[in-house]
Amino acid sequence: MAMIRNRSRHRLVAYSLILPFVAIFALVFAYPVIEVVRMSFTDAPLIGGGDWVGFDNYARLLSDKLFYKSLVNNGYFVLLTVIPTTVIALVIALAVNRLSGRMQALALVLFFMPYVLPVSVVTQIWAWMLDFQFGILQPVIEFFTGKPVPVFKNPFWVMPAVAVVTIWWTNGFNVLLFLAGLRNIPGELYEAAKLDGATRRQLFFKVTWPLLWPVTALVLTLQLILQLKIFDQVYLLSEGGPFNSSYVLLLMVYREAFQLNHGGYAAAISLVLFLIIVVISVLQFQILRIGGKDK
Amino acid sequence: MKLKTLAQISAIAALAGIGMPAFAQQTVTWWDFFAGGDGVRMKALIEQFNEEHPDVQIEGTTLEWGVPFYTKVRTSAAVGRGPDLMTYHLSRMPLGLSEGVLTPITAADLDAAGLSEGDFFASSLDAAKGPDGTLYAVPFDIHSIVLYYNKTYLEGTRFLDDEGKLTGIESLADFEEALQAAADNGSEAPVTYATGDDGGTYRVFYTLLSQQGGTLISEDGEVLPGDSAEKAVKALEIMTNWHDQGWQPEQALYEASVALFTSGKSAFQLNGVWEVPTMKDLEKNGNLGFEWGAVEIPKLMDTRTTWADSHAWAIPVQGDEEMDPAKREAVMQVIGWMEKHAIQWADAGHIPAYKPVAESDEFKTMEPNATYSSLADGATYDPRSEVAGVASPAYDAAQNIISPAMHGYLSAEDAIEQVKSELESKMN
Repeated sequence: MAMIRNRSRHRLVAYSLILPFVAIFALVFAYPVIEVVRMSFTDAPLIGGGDWVGFDNYARLLSDKLFYKSLVNNGYFVLLTVIPTTVIALVIALAVNRLSGRMQALALVLFFMPYVLPVSVVTQIWAWMLDFQFGILQPVIEFFTGKPVPVFKNPFWVMPAVAVVTIWWTNGFNVLLFLAGLRNIPGELYEAAKLDGATRRQLFFKVTWPLLWPVTALVLTLQLILQLKIFDQVYLLSEGGPFNSSYVLLLMVYREAFQLNHGGYAAAISLVLFLIIVVISVLQFQILRIGGKDK
Repeated sequence: MKLKTLAQISAIAALAGIGMPAFAQQTVTWWDFFAGGDGVRMKALIEQFNEEHPDVQIEGTTLEWGVPFYTKVRTSAAVGRGPDLMTYHLSRMPLGLSEGVLTPITAADLDAAGLSEGDFFASSLDAAKGPDGTLYAVPFDIHSIVLYYNKTYLEGTRFLDDEGKLTGIESLADFEEALQAAADNGSEAPVTYATGDDGGTYRVFYTLLSQQGGTLISEDGEVLPGDSAEKAVKALEIMTNWHDQGWQPEQALYEASVALFTSGKSAFQLNGVWEVPTMKDLEKNGNLGFEWGAVEIPKLMDTRTTWADSHAWAIPVQGDEEMDPAKREAVMQVIGWMEKHAIQWADAGHIPAYKPVAESDEFKTMEPNATYSSLADGATYDPRSEVAGVASPAYDAAQNIISPAMHGYLSAEDAIEQVKSELESKMN
């Protein structure tokens, strides 16, 4: 008897503990997601209800040239950022790991600092440094290309330039993850390998790389999700131009919803983006896990 | 004196308050988007109104111009948390009507403000009406781009008359001759406008297109109908040529384009009348260093016309509720008072839409407004379309396609083709 009472009390406590989370989750995540799905089948404006239009929004999406252009640009941006930022972060982490004590802390602070800045500050800094008339980096560009380049106004430079800004901004966090991963590798493994006569090259490829793989896979997946969601930097630096060469899916969602008042269509685009991110990141993580098991 | 009257009025109000506790002060929540030199003048108007009207107090907030302002208006009006009175671009009317955020201005409303439809310039009044002729806003001004000039670079050329006023520009060839003359006289960028921004590029392009009789979007929603596409190509080629000749600055953002003129590096500036206060203030403080003037954009192509837009007053819907009639009357009182004091707003370079002020002697002697106010008659407003107007896809296309094309990244034909398909796709 007492035990039953005890158990139900137990359950009550458990429920009451998870209730706040479930309530908030339902309110700020589950409900909006359901609403987005519902809205994507209507011709609703940004605020207020609309009429059910079935798959019209999706049909329109498939014939919208800008959608494909944005999709390609999203892919191009992922290509420009995900692997480069992972490689750079790994190299920096390996270098920082060799430092010790205060120097290591200082180096970490320096690399982590940009990550603390809000995106608008980051884009302001870079817009100034790359400013066509006064930018302090223009002489550097001039040295290589022979003339100054308005990087955010040039269809070939704009995406790589946004990618550089993004990598500079977000890299510190990846360095931190890698550093944590490196510290988790037991020192004895290196000692044992060295006793067996392993070279530094072998040490890296046979010890560090395989043992660091879970962290690398995590960084790659996090970066993929993050970079597919590119919006702020493009909105603040180039507004999708020139000739839509930096138009990305979230910018399309923003313009449709807030500028043109097409809530339903914007919901359909964002839902498609959501599905793309889910599918790609799950696929990627699975592939990376298989890749990890082979080692 | 004013303080004393205020004290007397409040004393009377306090006394009256004992007798009739229903005495209610109306607070009018006001949103605008004036942050520059004109914002200062608008705030002065609000303060003056508040001082003169103890029973109606304006609570003004200035928000960010463009998409942020209109997004906030739409979302807040829909849930009844919007302002009681707001400034609105008449070029934005079509989208505003489709969003259903504006309430009709009735004849009774105009009465309450002490105004009538006949008091306004017809072009601005038309732009303030819906397709069915219902009035949705009260026009406040007409603003346009004008041609600012720096006399230093034109001295000794045929383009200054005996009084030192700009003269002799009657065609594109004349204007380009003047640009070359200015360049020879050492002007770094003979004509400056925001070549890398949406607004500056759009307004020059639209003016050149309209001067050829071209239409950006027709009444029935066709983009660049008939031979308008060829005319648009021509307009873009003219701008591209100015770039190729080194006459206009490369990729200049708005502030930089203004700075080129105020610092005396440009002989001409194609920019809005709203920069007049900037020039006046610099001149007054003795920081300008040259003599300047501003005229209506000359006839460069076939007809004399200039892009124009209007700031207007509008009363947004209050969610599902109706605005309290007493409050609405107070709002209309504010609008009426502002219209009648529009001469102070003209000081910010604008042309009043309210004829009694625009035709007053005080305005007729106000310079440089009086010189260019003739543009109001022949002005071309933005197309009446949901994809045109302030912060619209048409503005985006200027930055996204026209600006890079004139910097040499795309041919004029391909660029105009792209503008056309871009605007068409946004219309559905």
